[in-house]
Amino acid sequence: MAEYWGIKVEDIFNTMQERFRPEGAQGVTASYGYDIAGEGKWKVTVYNGTLAAVERVDGITGCVATMSADGETFVGVNTGKVDATNAFMGGKVKVEGDMGAFGKTGRMFRKFVIAKKEMSTREYIEDMFGTIVSRFKPEEAEDVDASFAYDLGGPDGGTWTVSVKDKKCTIATTIEGNPTVTLEFNDAKDYVDFILGKIDAQTLLAAGKGSAKGDINLIQTKWPVMFEKYKDPMGGAVPEQELLVLKKIISVNQKYATGPVMGRFLKGLKDKKIYGNRCPKCGRIQLPPREMCAECRVRVSEFVEVGPKGEVRYMDVVYYALPDPLTGVARETPYGSIMILLDGCKGNETLPHFIRKDQIEKIEMGWNEKKGTRVRPVWEEKRAGDIWDIKYFEIDE
Amino acid sequence: MAHRKKNRNVGIIGVGQTKHSSHREDVNQPEMIYEAVSLALQDANLTMNDVDCVVHGNMELFEMIHQPDMWHMLGTGAYGKDSIRITTGGTSGATISCAADNLVASGMYDIVMAIGFEKLQEGHTTAGITNMADPLWFRKIQAGALTGSSAYDVSREFGLERANRVSLTYRIIMDKHACLNPNAHRAFGLDFSQIDDLIKSSPKLVGDLKLIEMCSQSDGACAVIYASEKKAKELSRRPVWVRDHIAIHKEEIFTIFGYNRAFPVTKSHKFAAEQLFKRNDIKDPLNYFDVFEMYDPASWWAIDWLRDFFDLKGDEHLRLIEDKEVMIGGKLPINPSGGVIASNPIGATALVRVAEAALQVRGGAGDHQIPTPVNHALASGFGGTMWTVLTMLEKELNW
Repeated sequence: MAEYWGIKVEDIFNTMQERFRPEGAQGVTASYGYDIAGEGKWKVTVYNGTLAAVERVDGITGCVATMSADGETFVGVNTGKVDATNAFMGGKVKVEGDMGAFGKTGRMFRKFVIAKKEMSTREYIEDMFGTIVSRFKPEEAEDVDASFAYDLGGPDGGTWTVSVKDKKCTIATTIEGNPTVTLEFNDAKDYVDFILGKIDAQTLLAAGKGSAKGDINLIQTKWPVMFEKYKDPMGGAVPEQELLVLKKIISVNQKYATGPVMGRFLKGLKDKKIYGNRCPKCGRIQLPPREMCAECRVRVSEFVEVGPKGEVRYMDVVYYALPDPLTGVARETPYGSIMILLDGCKGNETLPHFIRKDQIEKIEMGWNEKKGTRVRPVWEEKRAGDIWDIKYFEIDE
Repeated sequence: MAHRKKNRNVGIIGVGQTKHSSHREDVNQPEMIYEAVSLALQDANLTMNDVDCVVHGNMELFEMIHQPDMWHMLGTGAYGKDSIRITTGGTSGATISCAADNLVASGMYDIVMAIGFEKLQEGHTTAGITNMADPLWFRKIQAGALTGSSAYDVSREFGLERANRVSLTYRIIMDKHACLNPNAHRAFGLDFSQIDDLIKSSPKLVGDLKLIEMCSQSDGACAVIYASEKKAKELSRRPVWVRDHIAIHKEEIFTIFGYNRAFPVTKSHKFAAEQLFKRNDIKDPLNYFDVFEMYDPASWWAIDWLRDFFDLKGDEHLRLIEDKEVMIGGKLPINPSGGVIASNPIGATALVRVAEAALQVRGGAGDHQIPTPVNHALASGFGGTMWTVLTMLEKELNW
């Protein structure tokens, strides 16, 4: 099997059990097919919110939806290396069957995190002492004549002496004579953790896991200046981890004063009447009425009752399941959002509202002098002074 | 309209942009802004100490953080500096640019950094846009920024088949441009041979507006550094001069949808372009400009608006697209960056238009650089129910 970013297609499936998020699969019972070109076919079954089976199959049957992609795209999408929407829109990922059901799988599994190859303690020790001479800064070692001895225990341990004299640094794998400073660690692993910053000196000393003898002040103050800090070749001390994303819902109660003009319009709806107002200067009717005519910059005070019937000038047939901004619930699609020229209005003095769902197909839109379909409002029984006092408009037959 | 000449000239001397993407879970908001800010400083060879004032903007309701400039200060570098926050609907980015230009031109500051930002994956774009509407009534009816009205208008006038093909041609030109821009969010590698297939296969969103024709929802940030003429000449070998800008706002009005042409209403793109070109004595804008970075939220709107911006007659706007004159190498390349359809971090988007136009004038756009000389550039911003901002950039100080 081919590898992409060091990962095989089967790695993605083999880790599904540990990446499964029950909270993302509540109430789900379904099977999903995966047809990965040149790699094989898999079937993933979720039963009542638990991951029941991940199986390699010869043929995909009994699935609500089947995704097909090539291996690189599949691994890329699952590891975040490839943008899923881009891959889908560009045709690199295809989904047959129930698209909505398949979309839910995104919430069922944690992203596959590419674990970096880990370095062993021995490899770290070799790297740490192997780079000491190259990390030495001679210009910071003026007048320093000292030797630093390391005695590390454990299976990966050993002894080293780092000597600094005449602005030169040398290293030996023995300890001889009387070093200026001697550091002892019971376990070389603790030394690695100490250098990587995972554990501090006080903790090690307090736990009796290490000790320091000699001119301790010298190693504390001079060592960090004379040597560049050790850089972890793995980038971080721990394997790459998933960063947390906080999820929040903000819900705030609000109330808005309507003012004397919009208030009049809304009160009118309560009485099954539709009011606009006419600009004294340009004569246009604003619907709903506005406090002023923005174009003429004058107050508008003459209310006129219009409609309630009119013609459809324009209709947006909305297929995309937009969530209702006030409830968060997706509106049922398709629906028809219409611009109505109510009787008494002219030109483009239209009011937006909705058309009865089953009548979308029958609506003719106006176009310049051409008239659109005649419609009338359908009123709520109980009206509150709200735009929804009109349930919708329907064809006036 | 009263409009005075600038007190002093202003040049753009630094541009920084993040990669636009829907996967920026690796950074939080200030960190993402920091990326753009540090790139802009690097580009201008400045440090934050050189910046006198920061102008910051985005759309608050998209991420639901009121006054995000407080948190974002960690990334903007505004600590201890004058900082101004601006938000004006979809035109935020363009208005930030206008403000930075004005602040330098006024003489109040020598170097101003404009920052536009958005992380659309962290909130709900449609809910954010809907909450721009008048809460007394229209918020209940509106649903985001999707409408098929431009598709309807163009189709009714020129026939659905031709209109569809022009829209897809424009879309594919934008994709070809996006493929040249490493910062673009969506770059599919589409080809003109796919037009018929995409007309049939791309899911419809509203009316004849299809998924492929609509802009992305991106995370991204952009920073642009403006300097006074003296500073710009001292600090930069190739400053790009901001000649003029215009920002036209309208009332919240819905008579623009499927309207009756016998009763014309003011269209802000047309109005803004006419005013701007008139006061700068640009008689033939189509020939004058070498590049146009247009705020094009969908290919239908782009093809329709082209007519308004350049006051084109008949089907001239459609022919410009059919003849691929808006593609790199054409008469007036539009959005060599791939435009808004390819990348749309909304609060940054309109500033990206100015930034990309500046890069084209400077000759530093990389793979999507127009091969012929770019001396005059136009950038647009769009917001709300038709608000327009236009910015003119020049290579030479000779107007």
